[in-house]
Amino acid sequence: MTGSSKARPFLWVLPSILILFGLIVYPLFFSLTNSFRLWNLQTSPIPLGFVGIGNYRQVFQTTPFSPALINTLILAFGGVFIEFWFGMGVALLLNSRIRGTGISRALLIMPTTIAPIVVGFLFRYMYYERGGLITWLLRTVGFPVPIQGMLGSSSTALAAVALADIWQWTPFFAIVLYAGLLSIPEDVIEAGIVDGASGIRMFLWITLPSISRTAIIVIMIRFMQLFNMIDLVLVLTHGGPGTASRTLSFNLYQVGLVDYNIGVAAAMTWLMVIIVTLLINGYARVAFRNWEW
Amino acid sequence: MKRPAYQTVLLNIALIAVMLFFIGPIVWFVELSLRSPTSAFASPPQLLFKPTLDAFRYTFVKPGTNAPQLVSSLVVAIGATLLNLPFSMTAAYALSRFRMRAKAGLMMWYISLLMAPAVVYLIPYFILMSRLRLRGTYMSMILISMTITIPFSIWLLKSFFDDVPVDIEEAAQVDGASFLQAMMKITLPLSLPGVIVTSMFAFVFTWNNALFPLVLSNQRTATLPIGTLNYFATTGVTWNYIAATAVVTMLPPMIIFLVLGRHIVRGLTFGAVKG
Repeated sequence: MTGSSKARPFLWVLPSILILFGLIVYPLFFSLTNSFRLWNLQTSPIPLGFVGIGNYRQVFQTTPFSPALINTLILAFGGVFIEFWFGMGVALLLNSRIRGTGISRALLIMPTTIAPIVVGFLFRYMYYERGGLITWLLRTVGFPVPIQGMLGSSSTALAAVALADIWQWTPFFAIVLYAGLLSIPEDVIEAGIVDGASGIRMFLWITLPSISRTAIIVIMIRFMQLFNMIDLVLVLTHGGPGTASRTLSFNLYQVGLVDYNIGVAAAMTWLMVIIVTLLINGYARVAFRNWEW
Repeated sequence: MKRPAYQTVLLNIALIAVMLFFIGPIVWFVELSLRSPTSAFASPPQLLFKPTLDAFRYTFVKPGTNAPQLVSSLVVAIGATLLNLPFSMTAAYALSRFRMRAKAGLMMWYISLLMAPAVVYLIPYFILMSRLRLRGTYMSMILISMTITIPFSIWLLKSFFDDVPVDIEEAAQVDGASFLQAMMKITLPLSLPGVIVTSMFAFVFTWNNALFPLVLSNQRTATLPIGTLNYFATTGVTWNYIAATAVVTMLPPMIIFLVLGRHIVRGLTFGAVKG
């Protein structure tokens, strides 16, 4: 590099930093002041007085924040767990080199390409309580589908939302993990075979460690996407019945953009910022340890 | 390794079941868009029927309720894809080529913005846009899409720039090319496929986003998924219109992913996993 170019790197990244600052960081700090103000857009176009930590108390007292947090954690941990192992199974199947795996791999990614909101439309159709495909299939095999349908019953709503996500994102895990499997060097596998490893032992001691880096990254990406889930909930259940399938993001959307309670929404925003910052930083530290930038 | 015949048979059955599970629902939805309204919920479900294009005709031709929304979707997605490039290309290039003390920290900052829940900054953004009287404009939607496309593109583009050896660039500079010439004449053409791949992903992410237009668009600028969502609000849900508009929303990303082929893994993992 020439001497003059060394002085400039910061100028090259500056535009991206400025625009992201304007779009995310500045609004967030605008939110921080709002979180201490009494402000409902339905009653006043401008903020009213300061209310101290009143809004933060309201988050827990007037919105189902705790149930939403629990639902979100169930979705994120449960969803990642199922999608990872289901995806791993499909990846191993693709790696078995039977006929048809080439075309299968190309088609398999299709659910992942669809807009999450459209996946919502599709599953709402299939869950329809009178004659939807999933309802019909479940009833045919003798599963006791509630009369209100899978989405209308508080015992099944969250699982029904999760199933739609599992359908959409398991192929993502399968395709990425399959790429990981392909990149394991032949001689590593052969060394394992020479050492007498086979089946489960081979998988646990050779395959899994070889793709752990890939696995950690996809798990991180997916965990956060599940944690932020809103589109599917918006179309399928609207968080209901009651609060059975309400997620943190949907809760915030409801309070801020439907009820227009800006003060309480801002307080909730900052509670979420704290939770998400802790999660992302904790995880990214692990995922990108020893990373070459 | 040779495997017994019965195992091959079992593996084949498993593969068919997997494909049926993941592709079946898509076929089922496409079928819905081609049905007459009466057979949408026939029990037992009807696999074969006389297809009709009525739903597509109604939604996109006459009266074509959803045709303007298709245009809006294109405007927002193409606008976001183009606006994204100058910001992300400069940053990604610098992060790939220069020694920077804050590099790791910056990269982490970008990815943490990418993984933050969008509603969190969408609400204050919505209020600010209302104050500036920009709510409902294409610009408000294109701008907020940058929160996704820019951090994503910086990560992915950097991985493509990293693939172009620095030596080639330095050789050109030794031959008298300026730093900027070396970038424009060598690195950029060599990483052009990467720029195209990145743009395709940026297009798909914006195209598939429904939350931003849901909050920021008005009747004139509503995108296709918002149009589909409106069919749920009318009395007597018209499932075949929902399916027709949804199928049109589904198609561009599917085609793009078929074209992307081996770049899919890298793109979906922000360049962190090179498939």
